[in-house]
Amino acid sequence: MTHHEPLTQADPPVAVLPSASTDPAAAVAPVAVKPRRNGFGNFVRSFVRIRSGVAGLGILVVFGLLALCAPLFISGNDLDVIKVDGPSLHSPTDGYPLGTDQEGRSILLLVIWGARSSLSIGLMATVLTVVLGSAVGLVAGHYGGWIGKALMHLTDWFIALPSLPLAISLSAVIGQGTSSITIAIAVTSWSSTARLVRAQTLAVEAKPFIERARALGAGGPQVMLRHVLPNVTPLILVSSTLTVASAILSEATLTFLGLGDPTGISWGAMLNSALSGGAVTSGAWWYLYPPGIAILIVVLGFTLTGRAVETILNPRSVKTR
Amino acid sequence: MAQQNSYLPTVPRGPGRRHHLEKFTMTTTTPLRRTGRKAVALATSLLLGTAAAIAAAPGASADDGGGTLRMPIAGIGIDSMNPFLAYFAGSLDVFAGIYPALNTVEQDGTAKPYLADSWTTSEDKLTWTFKIHKGLKWSDGKPITAEDAAWTFNLIMTNSTAATANGSLVANFASVTAPDDTTLVVRTKQPQATMLAVSVPASGIPIVPKHIWESHVTDLKNYKNDSFPVVGYGPWTLTDYKPEQYAKYDANKDFVLGAPKYDHMIQQAFKNTDAAVAALRSGQLDYVSGLNPVQYKALKGQAGIKAYETVGNRWSGIEVNGGARTRDGKQIGTGHPALGDVKVREALARAIDRATIVKKVRDNLAKVGASYLPPSLPQYAWEPSGSDKFDYDPAKANSVLDEAGYKKGSDGIRVDPKSKRKLEFRLGIHSDDDADAKVSTYLAGWFKEIGVKADIQAMSSSKLNADLAKGDWDILMDSWSTGPDPTYLLGIQTCSALPDSKGEGGSTDSFFCDKNYDDLFLRQQSAFDEKERAGLLQQMQAILYKANENIMIYNANGLAAYRTDRVDGILTGKADSTGAYPPQPSLAQYLNAAPANASSSSGGNSGTVIGASAAAVVVLAAGGVFLMRRRSSSDDRE
Repeated sequence: MTHHEPLTQADPPVAVLPSASTDPAAAVAPVAVKPRRNGFGNFVRSFVRIRSGVAGLGILVVFGLLALCAPLFISGNDLDVIKVDGPSLHSPTDGYPLGTDQEGRSILLLVIWGARSSLSIGLMATVLTVVLGSAVGLVAGHYGGWIGKALMHLTDWFIALPSLPLAISLSAVIGQGTSSITIAIAVTSWSSTARLVRAQTLAVEAKPFIERARALGAGGPQVMLRHVLPNVTPLILVSSTLTVASAILSEATLTFLGLGDPTGISWGAMLNSALSGGAVTSGAWWYLYPPGIAILIVVLGFTLTGRAVETILNPRSVKTR
Repeated sequence: MAQQNSYLPTVPRGPGRRHHLEKFTMTTTTPLRRTGRKAVALATSLLLGTAAAIAAAPGASADDGGGTLRMPIAGIGIDSMNPFLAYFAGSLDVFAGIYPALNTVEQDGTAKPYLADSWTTSEDKLTWTFKIHKGLKWSDGKPITAEDAAWTFNLIMTNSTAATANGSLVANFASVTAPDDTTLVVRTKQPQATMLAVSVPASGIPIVPKHIWESHVTDLKNYKNDSFPVVGYGPWTLTDYKPEQYAKYDANKDFVLGAPKYDHMIQQAFKNTDAAVAALRSGQLDYVSGLNPVQYKALKGQAGIKAYETVGNRWSGIEVNGGARTRDGKQIGTGHPALGDVKVREALARAIDRATIVKKVRDNLAKVGASYLPPSLPQYAWEPSGSDKFDYDPAKANSVLDEAGYKKGSDGIRVDPKSKRKLEFRLGIHSDDDADAKVSTYLAGWFKEIGVKADIQAMSSSKLNADLAKGDWDILMDSWSTGPDPTYLLGIQTCSALPDSKGEGGSTDSFFCDKNYDDLFLRQQSAFDEKERAGLLQQMQAILYKANENIMIYNANGLAAYRTDRVDGILTGKADSTGAYPPQPSLAQYLNAAPANASSSSGGNSGTVIGASAAAVVVLAAGGVFLMRRRSSSDDRE
């Protein structure tokens, strides 16, 4: 997915939106604005054709809506340990379709509420990852020379580091909590984005329209931001969709390992308190499965969506299909 | 003032002494508190501990007809095999098995002979003479003499490295001599009523063979004591030890207090109690301690397993920073000034619904906490009476704060009239402690009801201890256990335990300092009459209770289980009316444990357990694998 093949026909400088390249018809569109709209329309049309992608997106929409609307139907009292009065660690029963935790809170409500924290940490970590990775990749690809070399050596170094121990040490150093987990995820996962973006930057900068821009007097930042960045954006988009999935997984892993906020409500934290609270020993499957399956489904949703987007935006996969 | 002549010296802050008390029984629940090194090991142990423990357990399945007793390593493990340095519960437990002590102490406080057959005190109570049992031999065949004991004590008294773990126990010693092979004479500076708690198994000083250790004095700090078999004396001889994995022992069939009924013992490392429980169920372990109530209840009904509770020897509660300062009175740290007001602390104490925590967090397997000393020491226990009692009463707590001028702001949080700061307190908890996480959410909820905001901050134990020492805290959750002698537990509340003028050292637990308390502390040290001493200890507890700098919440019962088809006699003593047994000293357990006759059967519903945990792992792993596959395919394409 990293290589966007050079466009199949001579590039008019206006056709900077690579999504246009998936459809030759759009690429030859003579007006600068139109391909953009067409490109998006084509993108949607292609996306709808990929069923798994639609399913993935559907999952994400459902979870996103649940997370956003949670405060409408879950009041603070439902999750406040001093207010709830459910049975302790009870299997699914009347009023508690997924059972209760040790404090007597409904697992169903906890899972829904946990989506908020899991998704937001996942998304925030992704934004950090993508911003950091893209910046490093762009600069390294554009400037090359010793700056590029140094940055790429740094990137290689981070790639070589095992990310889980690194994330664990980081959150141990920064201190515990959601923000440190977010940072730990970003620090450990930006390197692959940086590599992808650098490769794409090199490919784009080899094209004639960049030469033209330079000839017209565009400076480094101008070329990077106005010409290269829009061309690597689709790649960043694909990469970030997939990064969200791994970030959510990392969040769950790190929280599960006890590096998050043990009093917070997230899927990883639920698994953590289920394990430390002895749910495994007592066979309290209703405490273990729901957050685990929620993680699985959401990660699957992001992955399916990301794959679909990638398939559309990658011309090579168009050919092979 | 009191600090100069106090018996309890300033031990280096650090993990050290704290843990002596932690490990008196094998049912010690939450492992060590206030230990610096805990966090370092935590992350790795979480990841690797369980798997490594299971994979590496040697001979776990090699059952030669009950010849091997299979235990877990106690607490969070073994920090060192060097008895002069180690303080983790797991280490102290090992030493109880492989090194002798002068005497043992029963749970009711009576001392029984071990190395010493008998002891006498002089008229002025300053000289103690111990008669050492004749004819005992170290595991290498050399005789055990009074000189070994004298040498061990003298080394701790004169060598600061040797004093790391047990220095405070001999602080009041003037001299220790061995006039002949069977006589040990200890002279103290002040009369010391607690002499028979100084060298006891697990919570006291282990006596080491002089002829082995003499050559290691110069390098004591780095000596790992790892030439196996380790020369010692006790029910067991340590024959092999792999850190984070296992310790192997052979039985000493000539042991003076009776031979162990097993030929061998293996202690395996389990960092996760759930994993240990699974091992118990599948028959890889004979005994598990430190269960939480959920695990206990799950094991309770299971055939072939006896799950039992022991009377709580531990308090769990919060410490409130009433004004951190050095011994010379200099304020240190960043504690909230409002907590210096006893009224605020009283309101906090009244805001906590202890009964609910006992019910919901400990599943009623605990007692509502009030007195500083736990129920395992009924002879010293103290109960607040009537009007002095800080019962759960949010209305009263609110009115106390109202009267003291802490008005609620528009956001419902009260404001300190003096410092103008909101009553917003940091509530530090141990991130690796499930009970801390649970209890703290309740506390935050109740504090909110009285207009106090608690900001829960999960920290590693080392971070928490470092903040504590510097006074950079408002409220901390903590837990302490004690053996039969409570001196150390009371000593951490004396003024002499405060840090020195540079803000260093000190073993204080809450920066509590009260002159009357210190006077009583000194008097109880020299109180040879048990009744008199108990009275003094109760007065001390009353002072602590009133100050509310250590607010007790509950005393958890010890929860443990063993396989009845494999082992017998683990449980000693009689259960009280609530079904709780006396705390089980590890030495007694080692000696009493005997192979059960019944043929072994495999664990009951371990299948479901493994299934459930496997499911959780699979669910987590599935996404990972999926991503990884995806990633690798995109790499291929690159």
